[in-house]
Amino acid sequence: MNTTAFGNRKNLVSTVLLVCLGLLFLLPLAVTLSGSFMSEGEITLNYTTSLSAFDKLDGLTERFAGLRLIPSPVTLKQYATVLINQPAFLLLMFNSIKIALPVTLGSLIISMATAYGFTIWNWRYKEALFIVYIVVMLMPLQAVLVPNYIIADALGIQESYLAIILPGIFSPFGVFLMRQSMKALPTAYFEAARIDGAGPMRIFFSLVIPQMKSAIAALCMLQFIEYWNLVEQAVIFIKDYTKEPLSVYLSRIAEGRVGLIFAASCVFLFLPFWFLLLGQKDLEKGIELSGVK
Amino acid sequence: MKNRRIPPGFWFLLPGLLGFLLFYILPFGGSVGYSVMSQPVNGKFVGVQNYLSLLASPAYLRGLWNTVKFMGVSVPLNMALSLGVALLIRKKRHRELFTLIFLIPLVLPSGSMAFFWRVVFSYNGALNGALQGLGIGKVNWLDSALALPVMVLIFIWKNMGYNMVLFLSGLHSIPMEYYEAAWVDGASPRQALWSITLPNLAATSVLVCIMSVVNSFKVFREIYLLTGNYPHQSIYTLQHFMNNMFASLNYPKLTTATTILVCIIAVLTQGLLWLERRTSS
Repeated sequence: MNTTAFGNRKNLVSTVLLVCLGLLFLLPLAVTLSGSFMSEGEITLNYTTSLSAFDKLDGLTERFAGLRLIPSPVTLKQYATVLINQPAFLLLMFNSIKIALPVTLGSLIISMATAYGFTIWNWRYKEALFIVYIVVMLMPLQAVLVPNYIIADALGIQESYLAIILPGIFSPFGVFLMRQSMKALPTAYFEAARIDGAGPMRIFFSLVIPQMKSAIAALCMLQFIEYWNLVEQAVIFIKDYTKEPLSVYLSRIAEGRVGLIFAASCVFLFLPFWFLLLGQKDLEKGIELSGVK
Repeated sequence: MKNRRIPPGFWFLLPGLLGFLLFYILPFGGSVGYSVMSQPVNGKFVGVQNYLSLLASPAYLRGLWNTVKFMGVSVPLNMALSLGVALLIRKKRHRELFTLIFLIPLVLPSGSMAFFWRVVFSYNGALNGALQGLGIGKVNWLDSALALPVMVLIFIWKNMGYNMVLFLSGLHSIPMEYYEAAWVDGASPRQALWSITLPNLAATSVLVCIMSVVNSFKVFREIYLLTGNYPHQSIYTLQHFMNNMFASLNYPKLTTATTILVCIIAVLTQGLLWLERRTSS
C-alpha cells in the first residue's frame, strides 16, 4: 500500500517535470504561432527595445522585449498577405518543394540500393568503404560546401538546383541509416528465399522493401526536413532571388516585417509538421539498433 | 574453373558509389591537393607551408578549440538528458504526445527561431527583462563567456527529441524477460537500471553519439543567424572560420582546414567504432 502511494507520487513528480519541460520546448512555436496572428504594430510594441516619447514621459529609462502569447486583437492580415496578396511566398515555397522532393526521393532510391549492395556483397574492402561513408557523413556542411562547389563548377551546374540536389541524393546519411536497418532483418528468411530460387532482385523487392517500411518513412522524413530547411547551400548556389527557397527568405527576418515572417514560418512548417505527425512512430522503429558495425 | 561472374551486390552498390565518389571523394581529394598549393589556379607546390601558417593562425586555433569544447560539453550532456527523458516518458500514457512535442524543434525554420532566441537573449531581451524585474540585473548573454552555454542550450533544444527517439527504440528492444528475471531475483529498479538497461543501450549510445556529432555541427546555422560572422570569441567555431575563409576566397587556408578536419574525424570515427565493437562483445 505504502509503496504504491510512493510510486504514484514519483509518477506525479515525473509527469509535472515532463510537462514543464514540454512547455519550455513548445515556447518558440507558441511565440511564432501567436505572432503570426498579431498586427505588425503590436509586434513592434512587444519586441522593440528603443524608447518612445511616451516611455520617456513615463520616466522609463529602458525597455525590454516581451514574449506575449495572446494576440490582441487577433488578425489574419499577415496570412492574407502571405497566401493571397503576395504570390511570391507561394512561389518561394514551390522552390523549396522543387529542391526537397527530388532529394528525398532520389536519396531514398540510391540509399536503398547502395545499402542492399553493402549487405549482400561481402568483399574485402567493404567495411573500410563504409568507414569512409561515416567520415563524410560526420563532416560539417561548411567543409563539404567547397567540394560541392568545386564539382558543381566542373560540371557547369552552379546556379542551378542540381548543384544542391545531386550531392543531396548521394549524401552518405541515407546509406548509413538504411544499412543500419537492413542489419536487423532476419537473415534466415533470405536464405530460405534464396534456396527457393529467388534472385537478389526479387528478394530486394518482395522481401527487403516490405520489411523496411518504417526505415523508409524515417529516411524520407529526415531528408525532407533537412532539405526543406536548407540555408547555406542555397545562399552559395542560388543567386537569383526568385529562385531561392523559402527557408532562405525566412532567414532574412528583419524589423518591420516580423509578423509577415511569423505567418510565413507557420505556413512553411505545416508540411514538415504534418510529415512528423504521420511518421512519428516510424521514426522510432525505423532506426536499427543492432549496432554500427 | 573459377567463377568470374560479377556478384549481383556490386550492381546494387555501383550507382550510389559512383555518385558518392564524384560528388564527395573526388572533390575532397581535390581539396587535399589544393592544400599543398599556393593558390588553386596557377599555384605552385608549397608542401606543408599552408599547414604551418594555418597552425600558426590564432583564429583557426580558436575555432578548432571552441568546436572541441562545444562538442565535449554538448554531446554528452545531450545524451544524458535525452536518455533521462526517454526513461521518464517510456511508461507514460501520453508518451506519443510528449515525443511529438520534443520533436517539434526539428521542423521549425532556423530563421524565425534565430529571431526568437534574439528576443530572449539579447541585452534588452525578455530574459533580462525578467531578471531585472527580480532585481538580479542584466546579463550579457550573447557577448560574453555565457554565449557558450546559450549555444549548448539551443543545440539541446533542437536535438534532444531525435536522440530521445533513438533511446526509446533502444529501450524498446531490450527483452522484457531480462527485467522479469531480475525482478524474481529481487533486484531493485535502480539495480535493474544499472545492470540491465544501461549495458543493453551501449550500441544505441554509439549511434546516438554519432548522430549528435553530426547534429552538433548543424547548430552553426542558428548561431550564425543569431550572432553573425564574428560572434563573441567563446563561440567562434571552426565553421565560422571556414565560412569566413570561403567568403574571403582564401582557398589555401580553407582546403587545409578541411584536410585536417577529415583526419580528426577519421580518428574520431575509428574511436567510436572501436568503442562499439568493445561494448557489443
